[in-house]
Amino acid sequence: MQKQPGFLRQELGRGYNLIFQETWPAWISGIFLAILALILFLWWHTWGVAGGFSNWGQWIYYLLGIDESAPQKGPLLQGMSVSNIGLLVGAFVSALISKQFALQRAPRLEYLKGIVGGALMGIGAALAAGCNVGGFYSALGMLDLGGVMMMLGLFAGAYLGLQYLLWEMENLEQGGAGGESSPKKGGFDWKRAGPYIGGLFFLLILLAFQTYSWLGYTKMGGVLFIGFLIGMVMHRGRFCFANAFREPFMTGDSSMMRGVIISLIIYGFGAAAMKWSFVQPPGAGVYHPFWLGSLGGGLIFGFGMLLAGGCASGSIWRAGEGHLKLWLAVLGFFLLNYPTSRFLDQSGIKEYLGKGIFIPAILTWQGGLVLFILFLLGLFILLRWNEYTEKFVAF
Amino acid sequence: MSTEDIQADTVLDARGLSCPMPMLKMKKMLKSMQKDQILEVLSTDPGSKNDIPGYCEKQNYKFLGYYDDPEDFTRYYVQT
Repeated sequence: MQKQPGFLRQELGRGYNLIFQETWPAWISGIFLAILALILFLWWHTWGVAGGFSNWGQWIYYLLGIDESAPQKGPLLQGMSVSNIGLLVGAFVSALISKQFALQRAPRLEYLKGIVGGALMGIGAALAAGCNVGGFYSALGMLDLGGVMMMLGLFAGAYLGLQYLLWEMENLEQGGAGGESSPKKGGFDWKRAGPYIGGLFFLLILLAFQTYSWLGYTKMGGVLFIGFLIGMVMHRGRFCFANAFREPFMTGDSSMMRGVIISLIIYGFGAAAMKWSFVQPPGAGVYHPFWLGSLGGGLIFGFGMLLAGGCASGSIWRAGEGHLKLWLAVLGFFLLNYPTSRFLDQSGIKEYLGKGIFIPAILTWQGGLVLFILFLLGLFILLRWNEYTEKFVAF
Repeated sequence: MSTEDIQADTVLDARGLSCPMPMLKMKKMLKSMQKDQILEVLSTDPGSKNDIPGYCEKQNYKFLGYYDDPEDFTRYYVQT
């Protein structure tokens, strides 16, 4: 038998192309995302993003002297903040290795849309007690009825956001989109050096995990690492909830939303197994304000994510890929999220927004799970039907 | 004919714009064009490499290909 020369090199090349060259189909990313969200749930807590942003906002206001009391935990020890950092670094590493990292500048109007969109997402997430991840994806996965309401709100908000973008396209002409965008000539060649820098950051994340462990915070180290993997998976699949809620109205395409649905089915069943067997408490992650908070929050959030061009998680991974507009979206988000939550709390409005309703507590586990599946399958079929008929496509 | 030799009828400059603006503008422009005309889209958004061919396939536009310009953006060609 003839020994193939360079076998290892060939296999590595194939593996590289498969993982870092091609964009993963949405359903593949969805499956991986569900697995990682379940591992995170088992290891620590339900996955969320807005809680981490709220922590950052709280620190900023405290350091500026606007808020008197310091947050209980620092950004490196607050779970959602740590998983957000992991997500950002994961996307950054993934973008570097796949040679897609570039500092992307945008026309001025886009920056404005980034920060306003981020701010609206921050307000919406405060109302819904979570963003597209905590308030929708995790809420639904945890069988919290608030997740369903936020989903309806997100669809409505995305539709209105799309209407705005269409209006903007007709009425506000963006001058010189091209000139501002491309990186300066003679600058640093990220594409060439990317895979090596990415590899270095991967080692740094492992070192950070180990350091957390040494300091007695193994759990947080794990959260960072799982967040990192989530960032990689989301970037490789360009997994985007803004896309999922927008495309059925924009082009009719529903592949991203179908990826979200497949992901939710796995996440929901996995979480149910953990809760039903009391590995985790049944009420874990059930606190989303049904119905007013989740619906209204979803609406505002949905509109904001269309302006920003990314949801909470999508803004982080796009920021990791180098889009400056999405950095502003993250900034707008955390600057508005915390004060809005505080206002809702102190004014007593929060009382009227609703409370968490655990579906199996009303319908039993069996009934709740059957309804959960039927609901998602119904949505799946509706989206496919819209793909063929384009009934919901706005223009 | 290689992608680099294609002569486009209309050019859409979507550089610096991120998702969903390049797709939104492309959809609008394609709708306004006549049959068999060629649209060239300039984009810096990495998402376009997936979105543009995917959209063309669904809408029965002919995706003629793309190539990376040395100035750090990509040129896409679509025939209506």
